This record gives sequence, structure tokens and C-alpha cells, in this order.
Amino acid sequence: MAEESAAGAVHLLCLAASSGVPLFSRSSRGGAPSRQQLPFSIIGSLNGVHMFGQNLDVTLRSARTEDSAVVWKTFHDSITLIVLSSELGCAELRLERLLELVFGAMVLLVGLEELTKIRNVERLKKDLRATYGLIDSLLVDTELAGDLTQCVDCIIPTHGPLLQEALAGFAEEMGSVFASLVAGGRVVVGTEGWWRLGAPEAVLLPWLVGTLPFQAARDYPVYLPHGSPMVPHRLLTLTLLPGLELCVLCGPQPPLSQVEPQVLERWWQPLLEPLRACLALTPRGIPAGFPLHPDILGLLLLHLEQRRGLFTVDLGGEEGPSPSARRRLLRSFYVLVTATHFPPEEKAEEPGCPTGVPRACYVVCGAAAEGPQGRQDPGAGLRLVAVQAGPRRLLLLVSARSPTYALRGLATRTLHALTPLL
Amino acid sequence: MARLPAPGSVIVPDWHESTEGKEHLSSILRKNRRRVFGLLERPVLPPQVAADTASYKIFVSGKSGVGKTALVAKLAGLEVPVIHHETVGIQTTVVYWPAKLQASDRVVIFRFEFWDCGEAALKKFDHILPACKEKTDAFLFLFSFTDRSSFEDLPAQLSRVAGDVPNTVKMVIGSKFDQYMHTDVPERDLMAFRQAWELPLLRVKSVPGRRLADGRTLDGRAGLADVAHVLNGLGEHLWHQDQVAAGLVPGPQESSPDGGQG
Repeated sequence: MAEESAAGAVHLLCLAASSGVPLFSRSSRGGAPSRQQLPFSIIGSLNGVHMFGQNLDVTLRSARTEDSAVVWKTFHDSITLIVLSSELGCAELRLERLLELVFGAMVLLVGLEELTKIRNVERLKKDLRATYGLIDSLLVDTELAGDLTQCVDCIIPTHGPLLQEALAGFAEEMGSVFASLVAGGRVVVGTEGWWRLGAPEAVLLPWLVGTLPFQAARDYPVYLPHGSPMVPHRLLTLTLLPGLELCVLCGPQPPLSQVEPQVLERWWQPLLEPLRACLALTPRGIPAGFPLHPDILGLLLLHLEQRRGLFTVDLGGEEGPSPSARRRLLRSFYVLVTATHFPPEEKAEEPGCPTGVPRACYVVCGAAAEGPQGRQDPGAGLRLVAVQAGPRRLLLLVSARSPTYALRGLATRTLHALTPLL
Repeated sequence: MARLPAPGSVIVPDWHESTEGKEHLSSILRKNRRRVFGLLERPVLPPQVAADTASYKIFVSGKSGVGKTALVAKLAGLEVPVIHHETVGIQTTVVYWPAKLQASDRVVIFRFEFWDCGEAALKKFDHILPACKEKTDAFLFLFSFTDRSSFEDLPAQLSRVAGDVPNTVKMVIGSKFDQYMHTDVPERDLMAFRQAWELPLLRVKSVPGRRLADGRTLDGRAGLADVAHVLNGLGEHLWHQDQVAAGLVPGPQESSPDGGQG
């Protein structure tokens, strides 16, 4: 099943809207980056058909063939992004959100002004190369879900309050209200200010930190796509331990040279053990002792008001599908429930939600429908269940041996148990 | 200009190949891979061979595309990025390097903190150059053997970047020396440059590092052997500069005429 559903390819094209000049194209195949590019004639046609509509005041948003989907979007009348996906279960919702995030990533690293007032296309092309790493990570298989859920991927640390206190103190000394600890692209703790960051930067900043090659420290100019798309801020990252980075978003002060090892050691050396414990939590995300039903193979918990999420498939259970297949199942189930059953997240907190909105739903994976020829499909019979209560939405991937009549009870109990965490 | 120490006069050159050296190197390796250290960590040596740490900040300067980021990655034993793009902002890399001092027979662990930034960022943002220069102990000036303009730009770089800090170590490194077939910088030009500026000059190759048996991970020991001459060279000049500053060895004014370059 999932193994060959990954064999599909995703092609992302970026063009200057007015001239149709291709700015870059990125591809992935089978969940990994690929160098294969679409022929120029196809790029031209995809852009042409979109432009043709535009001239007639028709906005072409998406198209679907038997095995692939195409989504177009033009940003600020200046940049057109086109995504073509032949991944199994590729849905418009996923592709639309992908394009939004890709444009956000471009603004983050290049700035809105350079993207909307293109003076020198060659210069822009060169500058956009810096975004390839981040954009590629959005096209390939990932352990995160924030690209899809628009919620920040989190880790629930064992010593949360201790770390929180140190982070607040450190941020104050740095003169910034935006600080967080990030492990593997997931936020471990953040200051109040950090959690007030708008979309998409709240998702993109930790994601960016997770994709950059190893460095001891960085002083990275970033444009916040929502908060400050024209004026750059500085993202300081300090690698406390390999894989665990302290991020501070600040203005012109303080210079990176002022963040001396002594300052770091004063705040963080006493917390070395709790910090190491955070690293041990990736990719599981929740403390090892946390009681979860052994039938649960993966979970996606979202807090739709706080826009935070917990996504994990490393809950033990050797049998069943591989971690990447589990993640794919949960992701496509998320798309299904979000697009068809539950109201979109943005409206979830609106008062007077109609009573007819479902509070729970489940599906059972069909056998061999997507399975490889002749081989036993490890995904057959797996259950996916979703419940929503207040601002929280929980999606579970449950082993095939779990009876369907007990799914809702299991999900409700699990949501109840997880509520103090997120 | 402080008189340069002769190569090998401060640090025992091939000490890292000796048994004792290998023992010390094991603190920066793990299963034949280079260990990476977070800012809260440092190499741990057994108590009987414990050594002092000497920390230095080094600013890497040079024209866009000469391979600053690639050089630093090589020194740190990290993967060299496959696609070239200009470095965004500043990035720093810490490299630990144990070395033995000639004079005292002592082992010192050098902690080099390399500051690397993209040329475009340097021009676009005012805060970057001052942050890189603040309290820096050394400047590494890079040029590429395949890009003559990067070599010709060196004097301008030297005065622009390091003109106002005369008593700081300055070293010049020529990258992509492996591509000598295509070299744009002939030996006689290097000689002339060396005579005019009296700066230490090293050459590095930009060939991919050797891999371990799995074919993927970089071989830490082989990588260290490739860059030992650069790390030793840096350590030598930085240590010497400290000794001069502390008045322990003769500085530029009182240096004897026979103590010159080797």
C-alpha cells in the first residue's frame, strides 16, 4: 500500500506572473527529492492555460486527471506557483496549503518586496536558491504535519516548567519576547510572544530551523510573511546540543557576538539533563511513560485555537505499517475529515457552530485496494478515527485488531488523557 | 606586523598521526565519524591526559562563491552543500582540534569558532560585518584558484575588512587547488603576493571527502588528515600571537633578524 503510493511525483513550478519566466522548479518522487524536471513545453502549457483563463477573468484554481491533480495560485499578481502531484490521495486541500506555505517560505527568506517588484529576474532567481532547502522539505516525506494542519508541531517535554522558566529569563536578557527551543523542527517550549506569531511564520520558523545544515549558531535575516513581510528581523539560533536549538527572534540588537558561551552556560548548563531528555523525545513527541492504549499506532492531536499540534507514529508496536506509511495514512485521513466532515479549522471556534456538525467519525482501510500485487497488505483493516471536543481535534491510527464499536470510546478516552498536554 | 612563526616551530606538525595524538583525536571522533558539539558541550578526555582549551574566533572572508562555507564544512567534518547558494546571514561553526606545543610539550585543545557570512548579506545588512569583526582573533581570506578576480580582490578585502585591526592574525587560503589544470592564479603571482603582504598562505583542495564503508557517512579520520595542515597553521599563528601579546616571545619590534620565516 503506502510504499508505492509514495512512488508518485510532486512537481512545483514558480514563474513570474507577468512574463511567464520560470524562476525555479522543484520535484520529489517517492517522498524524496528528485532532479527530474518537467519538460519546458509542459511548464509552458500549464502556465498558458492559467493565463488564458486570467485574460477572460476566469481564475483557474485546480484540475484533476485520473491519477494527478494540478493547483495554480498567483500571489500579489507577481508570482505564480503551480503544483502537479501524482501522489496517491493527493487532495486539493493539501496542494493549496502547500502553495500558500511555499510562497510563505519565499517571503520568509527573500522578502515580499523583492517578490512583488521584480527588477532583476536573474538576481531574484539567484536569491531564491536559498529557499530550495526549505521548499524541498515541504515536498518530501516529513515527520511533521504543520505543513498540512497549519498548526505548529510540538514536543511535550517532561520538564516543561523548568525549561519555560529558563527560556523566559534568557529571552529577557536578550531583550526579545520571541524565543523558543526547537528539536527536529518541533517546538519544545516557547515564550508567550513566540506563540503569538501569526501564520505562516509560526509553522515556517521551526520548520526552517529543522532543515538547515548543522551550525553552532546563526544570525539569519527573516521576513515574517504575516507580521513583517517588508522589514527583516533577525533569527538567532544557538545549538545547545546537536539537534536542539535555541531560537530568538529579534531586531537590530543584540549582535550575535554578544551571545557568548558564558551567557548560554549560565542559563542552560544547569538544565543539561532536561535538555538531553528533550532530544530523547524525538520523534515520539510525548514522554515514554505516558499511558496510551497499545492498539494506537499513531496520533495527530491539534489544538485549533492555540494552533499547536502533536503528531507521532512512534508509539511502539512493531507490527503494522512502517512509520512513513502510518504518517501518510494519518495525513490523508486528516485531509478527508477536514475537507468533508469537520468544519475547516479557521471556523472551528466560531460561536454557534451548527449542531449538525459531526463530533466523531472513522474509516477502516480497505484491503489490497492500494496493495502491491500478491503481497500481504499491512495496511488492510487498520482503523482511523477522529473526534473533536471543544478546540481539540484528535485523529488516531488504530490496529486492525481493535473492534470498531470501541473506537469512539478509545478516541474519547485518549483525547481526555492527552488534554493536559496540549 | 608580527613576525610570522616558522611552520612547525610552535606546534608539532604530524603529532596527530602519533599514538598519543590519535588518542587525543578520539575525543573529537565517534565511531570514525567527526563528533559534532553543541554549544554546551566540549570534547572529554580521560583525566590523565586532560588538556587546556584555547578558544579563538575566526572570521572567514572572501568573494562570493570562493567556497567559504565549503571550507568551514570541510574543517568541521560536515557535508559540503551540493547546490551552491549564498550564505544567508551569519553562520558559525565550532571546530575542536588537539595539538601539541613544541616549546612546552603540552597538549592544547584549540576551539576555533569560524564565522562565515554571505557577501550579499554583508552588503545588504549593516549589522553583519561589525558582529563578525567584534573581538575576532583571526581573519581567513579566501580566494579560489579557479577565479582570478577573487585573488585580485584580496588586497581590497584585506584593507576593507581587516584594515583597522593591524595586530590580528591574517591568513590567506587558496581553495579549489585540485583544479590546478584550470588555475587562473599562477605560482609567480602567489610569490609576488606573499612577498608584498608577508602573510601565511595555504592551499586546500576541494575534493569530496572519503566515505566510510557504508558509502554515505564521511570518514572522520581521513577528513581530519586532509585538513590538519590548515588547523595546525591556524593554531600556530593564533598561539604565537597570544605569546607575543603576553610578552612571552619577542614581538615585531624586538624580533631578532634570524628568527624569521622558514
